[in-house]
Amino acid sequence: MSAKPTAAFFRAEGVLVSSGVMQAAMFMAGQRAGMRERALRFGQALASAPLFGLLGQNDRTLGNRVAHLCYRDMTEDRIVVLSEEYVDDVLTEKVLDSGIELMRRAKADGHRVVVLSEGIAEIMDRVREKWRYVDDLVCNHLEYRSGKATGKLLDPVIGGYEGGKWLAQYAAEHDIDLARSFAYAGHGPDLLLLSAVGHPCAVNPDFTLRKAAREADWPLMDYKA
Amino acid sequence: MTTSGPLPVSIRETLAGKHILLTGASGFVGKVWLAMVLHNIPQIGRIYILLRGKGRGVKERFEKIVNESHVFKPLHEAHNGRMSEFMSQRVEVVAGDVSQPHLGMDPDIEARLLQDVDLVLNCAGLVDFNPDVREALASNVGGAVNVGDFIENSDHASLLHVSTCYVAGHRDGFVPETIVTDQTPNGTPITAEGELRTLHEIIAAVEAENDDPATETTLREDVVRRLAERGHEGDYKRVTDMVTRLKRKRLREMMAKAGTDRAKVLGWPNTYTYTKALAEQLLAARADRVRFAAFRPAIVESAIDFPFAGWNEGFNTSGPLVYLAGTWFRHVPAAAGNALDVIPVDSVCKALSIVACALLRGEASAVYQCGSSDRNFLPIDRLTELSALGHRRHLREHGNGALERLILSRWDALAADPEHVLNVTNIRKLMGQVSRYLKHGLPEKIPSEVREWADDVSKTTETGVRKLRQIEEVLELFMPFTYEHFCVFECRAIDRHPALEPEFRFAPEDIEWRSYWLDVHMPGVRRWCFPEYEDKPKETYAPKTPFRLLDPPRLAPPETARESLTFSGG
Repeated sequence: MSAKPTAAFFRAEGVLVSSGVMQAAMFMAGQRAGMRERALRFGQALASAPLFGLLGQNDRTLGNRVAHLCYRDMTEDRIVVLSEEYVDDVLTEKVLDSGIELMRRAKADGHRVVVLSEGIAEIMDRVREKWRYVDDLVCNHLEYRSGKATGKLLDPVIGGYEGGKWLAQYAAEHDIDLARSFAYAGHGPDLLLLSAVGHPCAVNPDFTLRKAAREADWPLMDYKA
Repeated sequence: MTTSGPLPVSIRETLAGKHILLTGASGFVGKVWLAMVLHNIPQIGRIYILLRGKGRGVKERFEKIVNESHVFKPLHEAHNGRMSEFMSQRVEVVAGDVSQPHLGMDPDIEARLLQDVDLVLNCAGLVDFNPDVREALASNVGGAVNVGDFIENSDHASLLHVSTCYVAGHRDGFVPETIVTDQTPNGTPITAEGELRTLHEIIAAVEAENDDPATETTLREDVVRRLAERGHEGDYKRVTDMVTRLKRKRLREMMAKAGTDRAKVLGWPNTYTYTKALAEQLLAARADRVRFAAFRPAIVESAIDFPFAGWNEGFNTSGPLVYLAGTWFRHVPAAAGNALDVIPVDSVCKALSIVACALLRGEASAVYQCGSSDRNFLPIDRLTELSALGHRRHLREHGNGALERLILSRWDALAADPEHVLNVTNIRKLMGQVSRYLKHGLPEKIPSEVREWADDVSKTTETGVRKLRQIEEVLELFMPFTYEHFCVFECRAIDRHPALEPEFRFAPEDIEWRSYWLDVHMPGVRRWCFPEYEDKPKETYAPKTPFRLLDPPRLAPPETARESLTFSGG
């Protein structure tokens, strides 16, 4: 048996929390400085929601870029403070206890617990403080210029098909035995991530992933809390 | 490999055994510096505290300051039951007044101090922006001149004179660390002596105008008319008393206006900066006889860590702006991108100690500016947003009712043009009209409940109008700094004297503004300054064992001082 360490990879959205990046974007847009800016950016976020839904099962990278456009010109100070508020007031209520239990068990079984999230670092870093089982967190980063967000995400954008490539690189860097590792995810573009490990599990999967999981005979989990 | 740049100097070793005369010890900076030095350098020689008052009253005043101010908490805690001994070995309180010749000291004490003192740290001054010009002149200019006289007559003392960066006046751009002695900020040629004469002439003219019999007649007629309107028939004595009071009030107002007008004519925004600039110029003119350095802090704000994070007091520049950002008022008159040069009080006191050492070693420059804009720029629009976010954080948890928690917390203040339609003047006028309508404009035949409600609202609105008027005045005073001018104050001279001890390192570039503003400064002003704005009682400190200045002063032999160092260091 290999002596290499193993890991359990969790996609945050859908597995650990029931809320996604679109809700965060709308929350932020609705709290911009100034009423006009609030209305404008909230409208923008609202309009990009269907597009994100459409792209979500196919080109999630583009979907994420579109969703984060409404952060444009928002100061880092405001994003940091609102992220605290978002985590404390909104995200905490959306945490899926069953997912946290999976994480706890993975940790107890000796796996390195790695969380991948489409959320921005300002939010996810605060979430991580509350999730004590997490060894590593990989999430999206906003680009800033002169203290203001440009509305762009820095590469690599987490959430798309690049997840599989990223995972292979991470495993090589940390000498992880992927064949004995686990992965939990719920979106179509997570297929490559799930297929890269020996023990994939589709959690609350969307249509695309559910179909693929059934065909590949992967375990399926559905929970709402 | 060789390294360039000056070698670090030990602040502790340089100040060990040195005798310092401190003026302005009851002020914000003076207190923090005193506590910081006593806490970190117990081997200091003797610190003479010049306080206004006479005899035992001065001693009691100092004891009250040390016992009630939170600044001295670290010292009380470090020395607990031995605080009285510790302080009495190092501190001597001297009755006096910087605005008086010979600093108002007893001649014997003065003679002793002229021999003993190594350094005078002149923190005394009137920091009101637009005070009665006579008071500003006595304290800010007269004080500097008298301290200069003391230095000139002393055996070997140097002077560290605390001024302000804003002596630069109405100007834009980079402000170097130099004293301009021959012209005002707007380029008017000037000599400090000549300007002092002009100012005395202005004061004399205002006094003469106020003492004019015609003025008294007008005031008397006005008082009699007003009393008659109220149905009172004023007797001669009552009218005379009222006229005397009115004349006194009028004189103060005219003196304040005369100072402001003169300052503005010459290019300074207010009497404070104008008189501080004059003081610097007068000292610079004596530079051949008075070894001195001008120390110019920018806007001194909450401490980062000494005496503890967030310590602040008084009505300082950012306080009212921060307060304003937490009210329903949204449009703070400020130009985006302008610096509000904020510097924590403990950074200022570290820098003061460094410059004091440079003076004692004979290595000091003429001017040291102590700010952040040159090394860690903080624009006013960022500060406004941070203030709004800080209030948001606070109100979400501690707001009074749903209105504050849900609405006011999200009612973000913004940096805006002073002419914005929702500026404070327009809001005040609108509120005034509402108040007047509710009081006098409602139809006579309305239900009594509605009348009562209207009276209540009218009273509340009137209070609001009064507060807005105060805010308006404050904003007007701060406009030169927040809107009209873009200044960056050079702050490099101090780098020539790196401090060996980390606790004295001056590094404004290390301040992370977001966490400073949200986690240190705002909780600080909320706890220590806002009660003052809201006329609420101040929180005072109460040590377990009250400090008493032992009489007569116990001079510490060097061995005792070293023992104390060991004790304190542990």
